Amino acid sequence: MTAQLSRRSLLGVAAGGIAFAAVGVRPARGATDDELAYANFGLAAAYLGADYYARALKGAKQTGAGRTLRSGRSASLAQASALSDLITGAGDTPAATEDFEFTWPRSAFASAVGTRKTGFGVLRPTLAAYQSAAASVTMASYRVLFASLAASVAQQIGALGGPSEAAAPFPPALDLEAASAALESYLG
Amino acid sequence: MRHRLAPLVLALVVIAFAASAASAPAAAPPLTIYAAASLTEVFKALDPAESYNFGGSNALETQIRNGAPADVFASAAPLNTQRLFKAGIVDKPVTFTANRLALIVPKSNPAGIRSIYDLRSKPVKLVVAAPAVPVGGYTLTVLRKMGLSGVLGKVVSRESDVKAVAGKVALGQADAGFVYVTDARPVSDHVTVVRIPAWAQPRVRYEIAVVSQSPNKAAAQAWIRMVLSAKGQAALRNAGFLPVPKSST
Repeated sequence: MTAQLSRRSLLGVAAGGIAFAAVGVRPARGATDDELAYANFGLAAAYLGADYYARALKGAKQTGAGRTLRSGRSASLAQASALSDLITGAGDTPAATEDFEFTWPRSAFASAVGTRKTGFGVLRPTLAAYQSAAASVTMASYRVLFASLAASVAQQIGALGGPSEAAAPFPPALDLEAASAALESYLG
Repeated sequence: MRHRLAPLVLALVVIAFAASAASAPAAAPPLTIYAAASLTEVFKALDPAESYNFGGSNALETQIRNGAPADVFASAAPLNTQRLFKAGIVDKPVTFTANRLALIVPKSNPAGIRSIYDLRSKPVKLVVAAPAVPVGGYTLTVLRKMGLSGVLGKVVSRESDVKAVAGKVALGQADAGFVYVTDARPVSDHVTVVRIPAWAQPRVRYEIAVVSQSPNKAAAQAWIRMVLSAKGQAALRNAGFLPVPKSST
């Protein structure tokens, strides 16, 4: 993985975190059911992503991959923070990472290739759900937020996969049911 | 000689027996435990000697507030115990277990529900608990989190506790109902469980407290310690309850 994680991709991941963190999410009690549903799913996916990076880091030691994984983890935590703000602003109580018992296959982090594959398994359905969210939510500020989240996750996929992945087309958009099913085995 | 001693020996035996009976400690009266309906099977199995009153935690809270003679209150939501604690009616509650929600459908599944999202698209007779009952409140949370609040328009019955919801679905009187996963087990011959995603689960925490006016406070405290012990926690886990999350301790 190390060789494929260039300085440019590292910066891309870090920038992704900053980009959506700067998006102003207008607290709104009038958030629709769909907007809240995407936010709740996204929050769980963001915590899952942070857990993925933390576990991947344990196997990465002091390499360039380690630095990139740390950036990915920061981006995931920033996503979680933005989505928590949205949910709180809508008058609901956001989930905490302690509410989940993430489950990983035994071989998930056994090798660099396996670690990367696991990351794709988490990030691609998340990106696919954010694409649907950006297309379907009604409030402009939420649309910008979900588009930014999608861009950040896409950058993370590019960083994990290197040039070949960066040039790959986006995964097809998934509705919440399909995206949820794709992550269910990890979310416990 | 032998003949003459016999009455004396008999008298001594009778006196000794009477003395031992008098000095034996009197059996402690059973505790009166008010507990959420979802705890019915596990509490009875854990300690069948006590006297139980199971029901919706909101109804039990009201009864205790009105002076019902409970020694212990175990609620399916912190709200009920905390309100009584703030009113000085129970001692400080502790969290002792957790749970998850599930959707159950009759084995025959007449509405053809395979996913919780099917509630939105199919004609369904849905049964839930009333909003004031903990499981009813948790159901609203799940539906809101999943963007499915619209299915509340398909509710045909709002029950007073989770057992009533499970019973109606098991009997085929409804097409689907929201219960705790632990309440699906006792009716597993009659229902199929449809999983609710982890990201949509509410934070279901159970609390337990001694009723402040209990005349059996020491025994009530000991009983709560038993529920919190390795034995009590193992019984809860075996019944499908979840361990207390670290953030709740």
